[in-house]
Amino acid sequence: MAARLIRLQFIMACLLGVLALRLVHLQVIRGGHYRSLAERNRLRVVPQPAPRGLILDRRGRVLASTQTLFRVALIPQELDDLAGLLARLGPILRRSPETLHRTFLKERTYAFVPVTVASHVPKEIALQLEEERWRLPGLLVQAEAARHYPLGSTAAQLLGYLSQPTEEELPRLKPYGVQPKHLVGRAGLERFLDADLRGRPGGMVVEVNHRGRQIRLIGQRPSQPGERVTLTLDAALQSLIEQSFAAQPGAAVVLNPWTGAVLAMASTPTFSPEAFAVQDTPQVQALLTDEVNRPLVNRATLAAYQPGSIAKLATAAAALNYHVITPSTAIPCGGELTIGDRVFHCWNRDGHGPLNLSEALLHSCNVYFMTLGRWVRKDRLVAALAQAGWGRKTGWALGEQAGHLPSRRLTEGEMALLAIGQGELLATPLQVAVTAAAFATQGSLVQPWVVGSVGSRTLDGSTATRRVHWPAETFEAVRAGMIEVVRHPEGTGRRAFTPAISIAGKTGTAQTHIPDKTHAWFIGFCPVDHPRLAFAVMAEYGGSGGDLPAEIARAACEYAAATTPNPEP
Amino acid sequence: MDAKIWRGWDGQLLAAAFGLVAASGLAMASAASSINPELAVRHWGWSVVGLLAGLAVSRSNYLRWIDAAAALYVVSLIALLLVHVIGPTRLGATRWLSVFGFSVQPSELAKLSTALLLARYLSDQPSPLSWRTIGVSWLLAALPAGLIFTQPDLGSASIVIAMWFGLVLVAGASRRTLTALLVGCAALAPVAWQGLKAYQRDRLLVFLDPQIDPLGAGYTIIQSVIAIGSGQLWGRGWFAGTQNQLSFLPERHSDFIFSVIGEEWGLLGCLAVLALFGWLFARLARIGLEATERCGRLLAAGVLSWMGYQAFVNMGMVMGVLPVVGVPLPLVSYGGSSMITLWLALGLVHNVHRRHLH
Repeated sequence: MAARLIRLQFIMACLLGVLALRLVHLQVIRGGHYRSLAERNRLRVVPQPAPRGLILDRRGRVLASTQTLFRVALIPQELDDLAGLLARLGPILRRSPETLHRTFLKERTYAFVPVTVASHVPKEIALQLEEERWRLPGLLVQAEAARHYPLGSTAAQLLGYLSQPTEEELPRLKPYGVQPKHLVGRAGLERFLDADLRGRPGGMVVEVNHRGRQIRLIGQRPSQPGERVTLTLDAALQSLIEQSFAAQPGAAVVLNPWTGAVLAMASTPTFSPEAFAVQDTPQVQALLTDEVNRPLVNRATLAAYQPGSIAKLATAAAALNYHVITPSTAIPCGGELTIGDRVFHCWNRDGHGPLNLSEALLHSCNVYFMTLGRWVRKDRLVAALAQAGWGRKTGWALGEQAGHLPSRRLTEGEMALLAIGQGELLATPLQVAVTAAAFATQGSLVQPWVVGSVGSRTLDGSTATRRVHWPAETFEAVRAGMIEVVRHPEGTGRRAFTPAISIAGKTGTAQTHIPDKTHAWFIGFCPVDHPRLAFAVMAEYGGSGGDLPAEIARAACEYAAATTPNPEP
Repeated sequence: MDAKIWRGWDGQLLAAAFGLVAASGLAMASAASSINPELAVRHWGWSVVGLLAGLAVSRSNYLRWIDAAAALYVVSLIALLLVHVIGPTRLGATRWLSVFGFSVQPSELAKLSTALLLARYLSDQPSPLSWRTIGVSWLLAALPAGLIFTQPDLGSASIVIAMWFGLVLVAGASRRTLTALLVGCAALAPVAWQGLKAYQRDRLLVFLDPQIDPLGAGYTIIQSVIAIGSGQLWGRGWFAGTQNQLSFLPERHSDFIFSVIGEEWGLLGCLAVLALFGWLFARLARIGLEATERCGRLLAAGVLSWMGYQAFVNMGMVMGVLPVVGVPLPLVSYGGSSMITLWLALGLVHNVHRRHLH
């Protein structure tokens, strides 16, 4: 045993001897070579960013792509004459030499690390610089990927934008190859699908000479491009709707009522996602701090509004479900209704006279529905709204508000107001579009989704559909009224009428906390038989639902009539 | 000072270990300066705590520890299992447990308890060892090694196996048995290869050809070899290594601390560190030879093969002659768990020496 211990010690001594020999080889025999490599090092890592994945619409139109722009950098240890170089660069880059110098001083780290003085430089300027590079030592022109949104501000809130990661995010993103200067998805789909879109960056290690020219490639790892994402969105319909809003703030959602696939989701005012590519510009600051218009907020999902008369659809359904009325029950409207000591007016002060359900819907008579509200008990009314998807998230993956339903005891007057969509009631345009889809399909309460496929993976959000368990007669009676809203010459939604396609709809004009300012709604579906679209259009402080929202809905339906329905991507 | 205190102390063992820790403290100051100077202070703190723990253990009776080996072994297995269940993931591997606010690496405890248990088990077996004995001892080592391997921590797992091999060698496996074991290992290598993570395979292959992964492990090796080579005979001077100070060397405070020593202190500094290790190993072997009890001798042999293997694999890796398996340099690399465990092991071996004198 002793002899064996001595043998073990002998083995250890031999191993240490091997290491000593290797040290002599490295440090004495090859020492000079490594010293020079270390001193002039140098090995330079040239990152090869992964191109970010494309985002396409359902017809293959490009919504977001990657374009190559250029970055101008200076390598401190290779500069002969910084002032002279900046003086030459200034006019070419259209920036003052002083600005470039300030940037250079701010960003400079080690002598061998290139300092970026200008990014997002277009190709023509980069070529011009590349030609002059031989007499400008220390100058480096590198390709850089920039996100490009070919349709500009179209669907900006849905697509989101990119910007540099924050200090807190970096540790989490580093294992995926994200560097401080990389751009990461910051909002919308760019953030939601960031990991898929990002790909995996690669790079090369090269040995360079004193002028920064590559002498030798030491090794490389190719980058993996990001996944291609196809949306259920129809870009043409999306821009049509956004343009119809013009300067009016608002939101619109168009979806397939059977599957929940979102065809358009507009929120105005909108913004240009490309503005965020360069940090800290006045443009970005303005977008981030605009508390009045809030262009970055997706109003379709993140803003909840008073619904107004569109809630009458649920009131009607509750009354029919509990046999409080039949479709032909006539209720007289004298222009006002007295509950306790309060007098509630119909929007038509002269009164509508006796109305059945269909007539009440087409005139959007307040007295009729306030009366229903008094007849249907409160919990039944709130239950009907909840069954129609209100007060609860729709399951939209990109973030949404749940809206609000009253949970406290209401007075009889408040009950009556609730029945016409006033008072303690809030809903997002997306929720309302889902409700419209439920009326279109006689009960399918879809979960809205917008990502059709990521790479080779096909996603299908339609599996999460719930149902509204109301009798078919209820849906049929309400639908008949919604058709009259648009078709009847006196219907409140008459401006949505088009000979091109049959539309069922309901207007809403909701009082807000600002007197004389109303939110304008129009929701519905088309065509009335076998509906292909369900929609909700909302104009913030936009006056009457029968005006702009009805016209936007008509434009969307006419678009649907003119295009062939195509299968889900 | 009372001379009695120093009676029974192995001054050489302490001097060699202390020399390594001193060298480590100096190199750490330079390595940490470009990462986080606090690391150096923390490292010095752990060195002092480790030294005190080692001295305390050397005053206890190592036979008590041998008696408790089975219990310690079970505790460390449970700790390893816990890491799989609740440990946080750092750098892609789950190796730490949080105990009273401190992060503890159970694999370190496992090394020590396995050394104790194997020493105890093998000391009762007749020499030459039977196949049955070798099989049982292999299972005792393979169980913690397997759990460590799946963390995944290839380096620490291989240390446990190396320790087992050293102990079986010293405890008396016949030459035929040892040859058969080596052949068996070689035959199993392709199977083990399949069990490795992709990045582990890359790192193993990188030493054959750094081009395979020039941005990852290959880059590290290239920069490490440049650092050591550029130190030449005299080194570039303390705090003056560009590879270190300009952050070309990743992990320079932990696994690649020897590259910093090579760059800044040159061949002379490196040979001094090698000599300190050689001295330490010689003292461990000497204590083993002089030990009166079989289990004391085996404990010394176990600690010798553990530290010897770990030192060789680490330095071989940073010099580019061995694959990147990620083991720290004993007593020199940053890491509290490792520092304390190594000092505990040295303290136990030191106690073997003291008992032999009494």
